[in-house]
Amino acid sequence: MKAELLKRKVKKEFNGWWTISLFGAVVILLPILFIFSSIFQEPNENWFHIRQYLLGNYVANTIILVVLTGVFTSFLGVTLAWLIAAYDFPLKRFFRWGLMLPLAIPTFIAVYTYRTMLGYTGVVQTTLRNHFDYQLKAEWLTISGISGAVFIFTLFLFPYVYMITRAFLESQSTSYIENARLLGRKPLAVFYKVVLPLSRPAIVGGTVLVIYEVLGDYGVTSYLGIHTISTAIFQTWFRMYDVNSAMRLAAWLMVIIAGVFFLEKLLRQRRRYHLSNKSRPLVPVKLRGMAGIAAFLYCGIVFLLGFLIPFVQLIAWAKLTFHKVWDASFFTLFYQTVYVALISTLLILILSVVVANVCRSHSSFSFMISKCVTLGYSIPGPIIAIGVLAVFISLDKWLAPIYSSVGLGEAPLILSLSLVMLIVGYFIRFMATGFNAIEVGFEKVGTKYTEASRMLGLGVTKTFLKVDLPLIKGSLISGFIVTFVEICKELPLALLLRPFNFETLATKTYQYANDEQIHEASISSLLIIAISILSVIIFQMIGKRGKQ
Amino acid sequence: MSIVEIEGLTFSFSRKEIPIINNFSFSMEKGEVVGILGQSGSGKSTLLRLISGLEMPMKGTIKIAGTTVVSEGVFIHPEERGVGMVFQDYALFPHMTVKDNILFGLSRLPRKQRKSRVDEMLELVQMESFEKRYPHELSGGQQQRIALARALAPKPNILLMDEPFSNLDADLKESIREELGLILKKADMTCIMVTHDRKDVEAICDYSIVVGQSNVPNDLNGDKIHTMK
Repeated sequence: MKAELLKRKVKKEFNGWWTISLFGAVVILLPILFIFSSIFQEPNENWFHIRQYLLGNYVANTIILVVLTGVFTSFLGVTLAWLIAAYDFPLKRFFRWGLMLPLAIPTFIAVYTYRTMLGYTGVVQTTLRNHFDYQLKAEWLTISGISGAVFIFTLFLFPYVYMITRAFLESQSTSYIENARLLGRKPLAVFYKVVLPLSRPAIVGGTVLVIYEVLGDYGVTSYLGIHTISTAIFQTWFRMYDVNSAMRLAAWLMVIIAGVFFLEKLLRQRRRYHLSNKSRPLVPVKLRGMAGIAAFLYCGIVFLLGFLIPFVQLIAWAKLTFHKVWDASFFTLFYQTVYVALISTLLILILSVVVANVCRSHSSFSFMISKCVTLGYSIPGPIIAIGVLAVFISLDKWLAPIYSSVGLGEAPLILSLSLVMLIVGYFIRFMATGFNAIEVGFEKVGTKYTEASRMLGLGVTKTFLKVDLPLIKGSLISGFIVTFVEICKELPLALLLRPFNFETLATKTYQYANDEQIHEASISSLLIIAISILSVIIFQMIGKRGKQ
Repeated sequence: MSIVEIEGLTFSFSRKEIPIINNFSFSMEKGEVVGILGQSGSGKSTLLRLISGLEMPMKGTIKIAGTTVVSEGVFIHPEERGVGMVFQDYALFPHMTVKDNILFGLSRLPRKQRKSRVDEMLELVQMESFEKRYPHELSGGQQQRIALARALAPKPNILLMDEPFSNLDADLKESIREELGLILKKADMTCIMVTHDRKDVEAICDYSIVVGQSNVPNDLNGDKIHTMK
């Protein structure tokens, strides 16, 4: 009898979508499982040393960074999203997309730009000294320590929260907000009592992305000399040459992250955030007088600090070194970066859509799959790199008889020296970026149209193509842009998994900055920023056409 | 022959909860219009979702037009059951025109017949001049009629309607009720309609099932069939 019921359940649930989701989950889990297996290996002396003397400090710094950045980015992202979605004020339409631009500047570029700009020889102190005869105390403007890192992370990562929350607020029904107003609540109370709880999935989605960025960061923390678990992993690997202990550190970090992630999801799953059925766009309220000026200034200052000032500084540096750095090899760099990012993004989006669609069934199995495919974002790049490398070497060993039968020689390394490895690395790392955006889109649309289509005789795939896909187009575009830009900016995976002689803009920038050639790094930095800006412009154009 | 036969149907949202539908049995004949009355949370809409295949029962058998669509070991997907449904909020596809919404369910029909079927349906609901409009350009009553036309277009064995009048104002409700009754009769459609308003049943249905009035408030039971007409 149980077998019959199981057969029926499989018949209802199981289809090609499940098979693809399962395959995707396995591809992502394999390297992660490899890392977990290190826990069961015998620890060495280094590990005892790390655990006894260093781990406490690493953990404390990591937690402080995560909490402070999480709080500040949520505050900045949500308040800006609410201002833009619900109010009209001078230059609001410009800020609507302008506030996405800080995301175009990778944090490792932002930190060296700000530190150099505000340093003793930087433009700020030099101008004050030479033109105003004013000597500034060094500690006032220096970007250093945890406060410096939080400043950089907040300014350049808040668009994750801003973009997702704004999209959610703009498209949801206004009836809740109007009801709250009719019930006599003031704007601030409406914001706290209605908007914040309703937007919680979007805010949490954006903040989780920010937290994983911080946890996986190496560029900012190593540049500012902050010891976190991620920098510890690098140091253990590169300075102690102890891959085993590095993997052990990563494995324990993953256990903590997975625990927090499951807890958050479980808490979120108990409450549903249904939108009202008829979705009308939010009609912005005009802010007059001081309120309008205050809103303009708030958005303006964030835009200046998060984009315009560092961008102009990079242009100024680029002018100094343009003739030296700009040559044909830079076009190759640009092409290679776009090429690898495009392939990876498309793969990520295809699987994201499939898994997110499967997850609409809210079964425990789909819940598990969604967690598996999004785990990669919480794992620092170098750890994914070593996991992927190990899997690919095993694959090459496994495929060796086939290689030799087609004349490729005895036991060559074909896959593990190819670009496929880097693409798989990106795929694992950035799956959550695409998936989260699409999951929010599906949550917004609900299941009624899908059910109506099924009742009219269309199967799951046709329903998806004809009904779901057009309705989640907006989320798909935002998912594409965020993922594409992320990959263009990504550093550690590209450094470790790229094939021989394959450079991306990020690896080239890192190379220059690491060699203290800050001015030379500006051109490749600007190119990364240009790719990101172009994506934002395309995003805007498509969005406008969609609305029309 | 019964068009719908339900035997020992039991459903619960989770194993830990008391079944919202418990050992329910029922059958209806072709051309009948049956109303399901009951309060919110009594399992009315869930019964429709079980018949349509959008939910799977814990126990029981459902047959539609002589074919077992769900039983132990059998599950036929919603799109293969030949069931039409009008949703509470109509669920008209917002990115499609009225015509495309109605065409949507006609993919199995030869291409040449589709257009004439759309025209036929628009004529049935008296909305001929609206085929190029989008759902948001229609009033509530018009949306409801298009939702009905869309559900009837593929000629389903049975039509399920979930609170079809809940989004309409009182005046409109009166006239639409009459119209709906006429359309169903004209189309010779077998229909189950969920409602919480007894007037809906009196105006349209041949008889009704009242749910949620026994000692076990949330149990549906075939014995509680009351003939209204």
